[in-house]
Amino acid sequence: MGSQFVDFNADGHLDYLTATFDGSPHISYGSAKGFGEPERLKDGDGQRILISSIWNYESKKHENLGRSMPDGSARSERCISALAFDWDDDGDYDLLLGSYENGHLYRQMNNGTNAEPKFTGKNIPVMAGDTQWALPAKMTAPRLVDWDSDGDLDLIAGSFGDSYGPTGKGGGVYLSRNTGKKGQPSFGALETLIAPSAKGGTEPTRPDAGLYVDAVDYDGDGDLDLVVGGYSMWTPEARRLTDEEQATVARLKKKQQVAQKRYSDLIRKINAEANEAAKGLDRGSDEFRKKWSEVWKKYDEPMSAVRKESQGLAKQIGELVPAAQRKAFVWLYERL
Amino acid sequence: MNAARLPLLAFVMIGCAIWSSHGLADETESKIRFAAPVRIKAGDAYLGEGRYYPSPVLHDIDGDKRLDLVVGDLIGRVTVAQRSAAKSPVAFGAEQPLNDRDGQPLKFANW
Repeated sequence: MGSQFVDFNADGHLDYLTATFDGSPHISYGSAKGFGEPERLKDGDGQRILISSIWNYESKKHENLGRSMPDGSARSERCISALAFDWDDDGDYDLLLGSYENGHLYRQMNNGTNAEPKFTGKNIPVMAGDTQWALPAKMTAPRLVDWDSDGDLDLIAGSFGDSYGPTGKGGGVYLSRNTGKKGQPSFGALETLIAPSAKGGTEPTRPDAGLYVDAVDYDGDGDLDLVVGGYSMWTPEARRLTDEEQATVARLKKKQQVAQKRYSDLIRKINAEANEAAKGLDRGSDEFRKKWSEVWKKYDEPMSAVRKESQGLAKQIGELVPAAQRKAFVWLYERL
Repeated sequence: MNAARLPLLAFVMIGCAIWSSHGLADETESKIRFAAPVRIKAGDAYLGEGRYYPSPVLHDIDGDKRLDLVVGDLIGRVTVAQRSAAKSPVAFGAEQPLNDRDGQPLKFANW
């Protein structure tokens, strides 16, 4: 989730605007006493604001809805970022909605006021020249910032990249300059500020995947630096093992394979039993979940034992052969 | 995590693992240069360490005219690391939950 502090309802207190993987923007309204309980933003018809793909909390299902898309088509585009931005310079905040899947950006206009917003419920694609604005490798969250000090707000955004594998291309950070005028913003082609990570290092040297960015004059030297959160992925260099150590590793890996098979077999057995117990029930129903939970609970002890064994073996192997690491940090990129 | 969330987690994991070729055709390399990145600390720990997809934003949360580091994450939690009074080097205190008006940690809903 990206974060924006903005006086969204014009009451003199900053509010906290964001969007999560449930596919909609959320806001926590500020007051003299502090932030209120977060709530979901609604459009002028009282409907949940979205791009297309959402998690439905009532049915407990993922749904693709076409009601807000320009062509009315339901597609797998999930809103995971939101920004308040007065696109048409009419004195109220419109919304910029960012999609995870295609890195698209949409605007949804406000036909009301800040105190009484009436969002249209219709998304309009944000363009970059003649093509739809699209960040490669899945977008985290864009930020609005006057990068080139020309008085208007530009867009910077990070990408996820391959967030899991120790190899594969990671995420980067991009800039899209606003070359339009007040009330008619026009965003340009993406400039790469931080190239996508190639990964494969032996120590954490940068955010490799899931790059969330903010731009600020961090060190007070008059230019904008980048602060970037994300996962670092590395594999520590292995030392040369003695013959005895190599034999130990081989023995432990064999035991690990056996433990992994036991784990897989157990999962298969539990799933089969749970499916049988919940046969004929709606997969989204409370009854279905209850049956599944009951079966899984029965196997708490053997599951815990097999997990513990696997973790113990992995730890022993890791002491001799370093395993791939994946850990989140926040990094400073000081502008030169 | 409940069973109903597992399919989406798998979807996100698989989705993240697939490199999308979709992007702007005229994507360009910028001439803007940065120093090698360094990890930011919050107190004695690294900021955001162990969080799920930490997303930082600099904002003066306590009105002391210094930008603090607010960090959200995938599961909807928010922390703040307050900037110390020293001008240089820039330093932040340990991360604390950002509380709501009732003194409870702010938490945004996620699936």
